[in-house]
Amino acid sequence: MTKRFVCRVADVPRNGLKEIEAEGGLKLLVASAGGEFFGYQALCPHQDVPLCEGLYDGSVLTCHMHLWQWDIRTGAPIGLAEAPLQKYPLAVQDDAIYLGAQPSALDVGELFSGLAADTIAGLSALARSETHDTGAVLYRPGDPAEDIYVLDSGRVEFLIGRGERTAPDGFMLKKGETFGWAALLEGYPQRIASARCLEASTLLRINGKAALGVLEGDPSAGFTVMRRLSGLIARYLASRGSQ
Amino acid sequence: MRIQVNARNRGFQFDAKPGEQVLYAGLAAGIDLPYECATGTCGTCKAKLVSGRVRDAWPSAPGRRYVKPEQAETLMCQCIAESDLTLEVTKFVKAADPGSCRPAPGAGRLRAPRLLTHDVMAFAVDLEQPREFDAGQFMVVAAPGVEGHRAYSMVNYERGARSLQFVAKKKPGGGFSEWLFGAAGEGAPLRVFGPLGTATFFPGIAKDILCIAGGSGVAGMMSILSRAAEERYFEQHRGWLFFGVRTMRDAFFLRELSELRGRCADRLAVTVALSDEPLADAAAREWPRLAFAAGLVHEAARQAMAGHYQNVRAYVAGPPPAVDAALRVLLLEGKLTADNIRYDKFS
Repeated sequence: MTKRFVCRVADVPRNGLKEIEAEGGLKLLVASAGGEFFGYQALCPHQDVPLCEGLYDGSVLTCHMHLWQWDIRTGAPIGLAEAPLQKYPLAVQDDAIYLGAQPSALDVGELFSGLAADTIAGLSALARSETHDTGAVLYRPGDPAEDIYVLDSGRVEFLIGRGERTAPDGFMLKKGETFGWAALLEGYPQRIASARCLEASTLLRINGKAALGVLEGDPSAGFTVMRRLSGLIARYLASRGSQ
Repeated sequence: MRIQVNARNRGFQFDAKPGEQVLYAGLAAGIDLPYECATGTCGTCKAKLVSGRVRDAWPSAPGRRYVKPEQAETLMCQCIAESDLTLEVTKFVKAADPGSCRPAPGAGRLRAPRLLTHDVMAFAVDLEQPREFDAGQFMVVAAPGVEGHRAYSMVNYERGARSLQFVAKKKPGGGFSEWLFGAAGEGAPLRVFGPLGTATFFPGIAKDILCIAGGSGVAGMMSILSRAAEERYFEQHRGWLFFGVRTMRDAFFLRELSELRGRCADRLAVTVALSDEPLADAAAREWPRLAFAAGLVHEAARQAMAGHYQNVRAYVAGPPPAVDAALRVLLLEGKLTADNIRYDKFS
């Protein structure tokens, strides 16, 4: 994919923020930090507030609405923030800033973002990209829990219970969100909910055991993934939900 | 009416009475649905109507600018179910903290409305049933025949309160405000819903407390400082209140603040910032326990607080520009972490 023009270097205030519509129509937040530039989604993941109106000191970005904060170099959430910012790789050439290739769902995923490139490559090699139509059922209660799923685009809902007696149990809609993570746990061989596409959706599907094998080869990555996974599970426990 | 709310992390079900706002029914059922103002202004409680019919309590609510009607979006604080409903909220929703004061509807009567300044009024609502709330919380108040609810912070703090004290600023065109400053009479019946809001103070936080308030935003600070004084909090911790008004003509509660400060000795500092008037000696002579500063309230706080931000919990209230300016000072200069800055945006 050819690189797309974003703006001139001079358009972004030093250690400041600027919202820019890149060539092709994508709206971006461009942040300057000590001579480097970082590109993120233009709107706060919480309530669609423009992030260019936020508070920024050159290292931490704060949305003024509810004080969600992020590390400007990585987009990782800090403090009250419950979600990372979607990052867009930028490249500076001469006096212009360009948008690089779009990151994959694994790169931005809540479990895997920021891992070493070799490890991401190992996981990517295991991933199968699948596209499903609206209404397609990915799994049902009792199905073997062998694979985890990373959402690339679309919308997936979960239902708990069987037959007529089912209740909604949440939905996924953001690129990089991960579900079916029982496949990464020992002793949970079966699905306890059903997952269904609410619209045409593209997913990365990765065998859980094989993913654990890749992570065993990079224990620090394995630790990061397990720490994030336990955070994810705790979040669902806190809401008394299940997946 | 049966209401189903599908959130990002799970689904919730609860019942709504005829005529009851969906948001209030859910909060009263112990579900921490998203909201901020709860009165149709902020847009935080927007949801997508998946199935069922709703009626809009206040079709011209200002918060409507945040919703896309063509995508069947609605404000839960304004929508009333006319059939069983399914709504979708694209946020994570939890069950309410079991230790929090659960909001509920209630009824009461207007008591002792009195002007504090030319455009600020104090009033009380005597409740039919006593009510628990935390210092810093607010209630939404409605009068029969007056469109819309208004949110007001409690000024008082007590357990099992029979009477809620409020402060209201006159808002031209504001339905409830115009009624209060005009036709309202002693004993008029009122409906309330609450308590609401997360800008709360508990002695267990064990931090110095910094309150920055513009105009009638001082109401919630009075509740916080009352609780702190009552529990002898300032024997262990320091407190600062910066209260911004335009001129001395707009200032109120100076007697109450003087008394509060008298109870807390030097551990509580109270500064009244006057934005549109030079300092006069007369005010300082009349109120020797209070300090006065010229300028905007966030500026007064910025100058006085330099070097004192260690172990501080800040509370902010007032008109949105004053709140935003104060947040900027607290985050960028005070380097406070976001969880130590509490405010409810309901102006």
